[in-house]
Amino acid sequence: MQNQDGAVADREKESAVSIPISEVDDWANFADDDIMQQQSAIHAEEAKKIPFVGDKEPLSMLAAEYESGSPILLEKIKVLDQQYAAIRRTRGDGNCFFRSFMFSYLEHILESQDRAEVDRIKGNVEECRKTLQSLGHTDFTFEDFFSLFLEQLECVLQGNEDSISQDELILRSRDQSISDYGEWFGWLVVMFFRFVTSGEIRKRSEFFEPFILGLTNATVEQFCKSSVEPMGEESDHVHITALSDALGVPIRVVYLDRSSCDIGGVSVNHHDFLPTSGDKSNAKGGSTVPVKPFITLLYRPGHYDILYPK
Amino acid sequence: MSTPARKRLMRDFKRLQQDPPAGISGAPQDNNIMLWNAVIFGSYIKYGSISYSGFFSGWDCSPDDTPWDGGTFKLTLQFTEDYPNKPPTVRFISRMFHPNIYADGSICLDILQNQWSPIYDVAAILTSIQSLLCDPNPNSPANSEAARMFSENKREYNRRVREIVEQSWTAD
Repeated sequence: MQNQDGAVADREKESAVSIPISEVDDWANFADDDIMQQQSAIHAEEAKKIPFVGDKEPLSMLAAEYESGSPILLEKIKVLDQQYAAIRRTRGDGNCFFRSFMFSYLEHILESQDRAEVDRIKGNVEECRKTLQSLGHTDFTFEDFFSLFLEQLECVLQGNEDSISQDELILRSRDQSISDYGEWFGWLVVMFFRFVTSGEIRKRSEFFEPFILGLTNATVEQFCKSSVEPMGEESDHVHITALSDALGVPIRVVYLDRSSCDIGGVSVNHHDFLPTSGDKSNAKGGSTVPVKPFITLLYRPGHYDILYPK
Repeated sequence: MSTPARKRLMRDFKRLQQDPPAGISGAPQDNNIMLWNAVIFGSYIKYGSISYSGFFSGWDCSPDDTPWDGGTFKLTLQFTEDYPNKPPTVRFISRMFHPNIYADGSICLDILQNQWSPIYDVAAILTSIQSLLCDPNPNSPANSEAARMFSENKREYNRRVREIVEQSWTAD
């Protein structure tokens, strides 16, 4: 019995490695492993086209993409061009929101050297850690990811032994070999944000439930498990709200889509995700803190990039 | 050499020893932390009593025994240096009859495939598999005979499962 099973296992392994997709005529033998291999091959192919985090580009580069496309989009890009100086693209691998947020936040700290903000967010990160613990997660499943993010915060503050320049931040965000965690830096920090987002959604499941039902018809638990925690799952307004609330960081999302415009002129919609201080309601009355977002993302259906205001 | 994967697996092991979920045991093989043996005990499998991600909702939901009762099902977990960023390859060594388990013992379970997240440790993986045993996912059948029987002829399905249980006592 055992030997028989072993033989089957080996045969399946061989077929997974050697048979090109087009020659698979028996789909019954095309198992999960094969599908996963094919998916990762597609991802690897995509990965070569755009780095995790691209260079700053003028908005005219964006316009060039739509030259023969929708006139509404071209008009909207003109409007954007008046308000924004540049765009920085991120790779469309399903992690673009988190990666854009990561880079944009660290770059903001690097440029502003806002130590008060760093101290503030560290407090929120500590809260997130407690949230995950109270939800029953084992410490060691998330603590490395938390440490890594906190390390990066120290690195972008200047005057430390391990301070880094902006060039270094870009290299680090792109690099696929820098960390000794067995995976890429850009991957691990994204995972940190996924943990934080999932924890916030689970903690305030009553608040998030109706929005999740609107999106996917899934329970909060199912949603976190299938759409937040795994890498490469795309983000929606639920993720953005949760991350913004958890870390206390306001986020502006500018929408570049074909939605129709007011009569008399083209305008570009944006939405500000402003963190609520709901949890500290005793102190602050649960109100929205009126702050101007320092993170601006450009949303085109299915993808987020970073925008730089003039 | 102590790599991040190995360090993490040591912590996984410690947790499994100190705080083992009911009906589950697991340990690395001698001299190889990357390859684990595990056992899932069928007596602890209860209908709908375990949630997927390892958070327990209690053992008191249903007192009913399942057809898996009494079985001792052996598995191996093969880890790579990419753990916990990539899931381990998990395989039943014991012969199984289940809609989501292939003939070679490999398991069709979302968190071991496209929905993997480092949030799962070995204990969570094994409890997820434990709960899969009596809550199959009929939408992704790995064993179409088992899947058909599970939905059309529960009595025969249960009989086949109990056969597997009996085999699990003698097989080694």
